Amino acid sequence: MKMEDYINDVIDKEKQVQPNPFLSTRIMARLESETAREAKRIPAWQKLAVAASLGLVVMMGVGIGNTRYSNSNTSSSLNINDSQIEGLNYYIAMDYE
Amino acid sequence: MSNEINAQNRMSDEQLIEQILSGNKETFRLLVEKYQQQVFRIAMGYVHSKEDAEDIVQEVFIQVYRSLNSFQGKSEFSTWLYRITMNTSLNSLNKRHKLFSGLAENLKNIFNRSDDEKTAQQQMVESEMEQAIKKAIDQLSDKQRMAFVLSRYEDLSQRKVAEIMETTEGAVEQLLQRAKKNLQNKLNKLVGN
Repeated sequence: MKMEDYINDVIDKEKQVQPNPFLSTRIMARLESETAREAKRIPAWQKLAVAASLGLVVMMGVGIGNTRYSNSNTSSSLNINDSQIEGLNYYIAMDYE
Repeated sequence: MSNEINAQNRMSDEQLIEQILSGNKETFRLLVEKYQQQVFRIAMGYVHSKEDAEDIVQEVFIQVYRSLNSFQGKSEFSTWLYRITMNTSLNSLNKRHKLFSGLAENLKNIFNRSDDEKTAQQQMVESEMEQAIKKAIDQLSDKQRMAFVLSRYEDLSQRKVAEIMETTEGAVEQLLQRAKKNLQNKLNKLVGN
């Protein structure tokens, strides 16, 4: 047998090997799972947007809290003046009688 | 339903691609079924193992699906597919540990020998010769191997091989002649002629 015939034999033998009949199904299944995985993956800009909005909410909360504190500091207090309650003018008037 | 399938089977590659790109994922299965044999044969020429070749076929079609929208139709779809197959096969070979695959192949040959009229010694000689030929093919330069596999495993014309390799027909002919000469030299040394 010549060397060329040996080579042809090996190549022919390999050419006769058939792939698994379910190979296309396997490929489609892998494609499906990869697509599902990609769909589940949250894009970086979304993660960034969520982090930024959380930060904003915290800052707004702190801001609102500060406003409330400063308002309570400026609230008017009630001073009770006893002289006004007693109606001293009346007694004074009595003295002139 | 069966009429629809028949109509899909008659579709050209361009029509199939158009349908896939418009979101009809199931049409991709038709494209896979149409070309899986060709891709598998080329992969076999590189890895000489059914399981490894099937892995390459999977990789190739996943890559094709991902980059289908970048296919501009300047060349035939099959040419584009063959290029992806060649690149994937070469990358896969670079990643694999050849020692392990060679060892596995040898063990498989020892345990799976056909039980026909050949004597054990004949079988051993043939198996060794087969391994030597595969090894000699593997040792060809990338370009010679590419031309050799496309021409001998896939029976493509020199024009088509030149188109896939983006070279001239003359260059392909030269590559094939050199590949043949290199193979014969290596094997003759081994046999001791």
